[in-house]
Amino acid sequence: MTLLRVPEGASVPPATEAAPLVSLRAITKDYPKVSTGGDRLRTLAALLFRSRDIPHFRALDAVDLEVRRGESLGIVGENGAGKSTLLKIIAGVVRPTSGEVRVRGRVGALLELGSGFHPDYTGRENIYLSSALMGLTRREAREKVDAIVEFADIGAQIDEPIKHYSSGMVVRLGFAVATALEPELLITDEVLAVGDESFQKKCIAWLEGYLAQGGTLLLCSHSMFHVQTLCRRAVWIHHGAVRMRGSAFDVTREYLTYHEEKTGAGRPAQRAAVATLPHIESAWTERADGTAAATFRQGETLVLQGIAFEPDDRAPVLLFGFVRADGTPVYGSHSDEDGYEPPRVAPRRFAFAVRFESLALLPGKYRLRVHTLDGLRLFDTFEMDFVVTGETRDYGLVRLAHAWLPGRGRAP
Amino acid sequence: MSSPPASAPLAPRWGWLLASFVRREVLNRYAGSATGLAWTLLHPLAQLAVFAFVFSHVFRVSVPPGYPGTGYVTFVAIALWPWILFSEGLQRGMGSIAANAGLVRKVAFPHRLLVFSAILGTCVVHCAGYVVVLAALRIAGEPIRLAALPMAFALLVPYMLLATGIAAFLAALQTLLRDVEHVLQVVLQVLFYATPILYPASLAPASLQPWMRWNPLGWFSERLREVLLHGSGPVAGDFAIAALCVIVFAAGLWFFERLSPHFEDFL
Repeated sequence: MTLLRVPEGASVPPATEAAPLVSLRAITKDYPKVSTGGDRLRTLAALLFRSRDIPHFRALDAVDLEVRRGESLGIVGENGAGKSTLLKIIAGVVRPTSGEVRVRGRVGALLELGSGFHPDYTGRENIYLSSALMGLTRREAREKVDAIVEFADIGAQIDEPIKHYSSGMVVRLGFAVATALEPELLITDEVLAVGDESFQKKCIAWLEGYLAQGGTLLLCSHSMFHVQTLCRRAVWIHHGAVRMRGSAFDVTREYLTYHEEKTGAGRPAQRAAVATLPHIESAWTERADGTAAATFRQGETLVLQGIAFEPDDRAPVLLFGFVRADGTPVYGSHSDEDGYEPPRVAPRRFAFAVRFESLALLPGKYRLRVHTLDGLRLFDTFEMDFVVTGETRDYGLVRLAHAWLPGRGRAP
Repeated sequence: MSSPPASAPLAPRWGWLLASFVRREVLNRYAGSATGLAWTLLHPLAQLAVFAFVFSHVFRVSVPPGYPGTGYVTFVAIALWPWILFSEGLQRGMGSIAANAGLVRKVAFPHRLLVFSAILGTCVVHCAGYVVVLAALRIAGEPIRLAALPMAFALLVPYMLLATGIAAFLAALQTLLRDVEHVLQVVLQVLFYATPILYPASLAPASLQPWMRWNPLGWFSERLREVLLHGSGPVAGDFAIAALCVIVFAAGLWFFERLSPHFEDFL
């Protein structure tokens, strides 16, 4: 079995040359511990005279982070790990105790939906107030108010005091205001979790469009599905420090594993952690003759082989995808589409294979990803890198079958 | 640093936010109450009525000789409204950070706008009340020179700058030390009687007079009477006091801005 797992970054060309939108260096944040009046007095003196000698607890410890324009970064971690503090520092709500923060561009922060709202005001009045808080001018707000009302989709109640709104409606209004700001960097802290299914879909669709247009997103969420859907990269914050960073799939997988291990601590079985979720146990690439390989000539046959684990003992739905080393998607497909069911080779284990006859990929580095799929949820990602060799002067990703002919000389 | 923009005192892009805050500040006073804004006028009127009854009918205080033809009510009213402006502005300004803790914790914006809007909101409400009361007294035959109102309001500008500076200082302090508001209540009570509002400065004991000269509130209340009853124009002392007020304003704001990035730690 060949497991080719190149460490993140090794096969990926250096990121775009654009200067980072967010750059944090060694960010440390201490919160003062103030339980007695004496503590408060001492803290006050320390703050005024810029000394550091006060009782505190450390919320963030030497965190480095860089976000480039057009990137989407997920932030995951347990409650109290320091995620919100980190977002607040980037949003400018909190000043770090030490370290360097550089944030460029227009920042829209949704740290809490509806935090600028006043319950006695109507939805429309609140739109003006919270767009003022986000730094819009009166004219900008007036131009955008109709679009905001339409996006929030609250109907006639927009002119009623928001204390009569349901919490979901408040959330919709808050998100609608943030969309109108058109920020270069959007920071959201667990805001997709509120709101009903259809509004969540609307928000995700909006975020996808925003990312497609070159927007930059910092998404803090406990929903690994949202992180996987919306983010290319992710950072795992653990006890105030970065525990892991990498592709969103890798980080969320490790994070879920960590949780499984934590709840199932003491369970003897190896990898008991993931045993409750469908996943790819192993996968590899081989030649037509059945020998494992990671280098193929252009036009050669590539066979993807693997074993999927499915806890319910039902044939799993599989998904494969080819991407170029820089992440550009080339092609992907579901086993569903073809009505494929892999054979069961052992209890809860299914062996699958996909054959790619005369590989049309142009020479270069590629990555093949395999996932198990349950409805819309991607449970797992298994990646392997391979190289296609050959000599060609063609451009692009794949060779399309073609033939050069004598021209006819006129339009039909 | 990506801290809330704290450099310019009032960048144009925050002007509208300040206006929205002031509007909210004013509207909040009557939101939910039936009689609404009338209360903000009734409260000082009731105070005025009590003082008028106690001092002119029980203690039989007479209006000092310097103000012929002036009733005691007018004499007190001219100084009482500015005092209410000052003390209420101070209290609201001081509490403005705690009252908006939700915003301070979650949104990046210059916190000083909250103090400013508390003061400005108080000004809007009580300046309107001041004009109404002065006009009513004039109609009742009191020798108030309404033409001197612009000069009176010109005096109120440094007066409110003083209140803003102190309020900013107290607001920052209050966020870190919760005792400040209790201390302020006591101080305001002492200050009310130490300031020539219910009495003219000339009535105070001679031994205290030099000390009372140093109370800027006393200066304003005497000057407002001179302006509104005698039609006095600006004097050199006004500029000295105004300079002092500007210094207090700047110092209070400096202190506030120094602590403002840490507010979130304590809310």
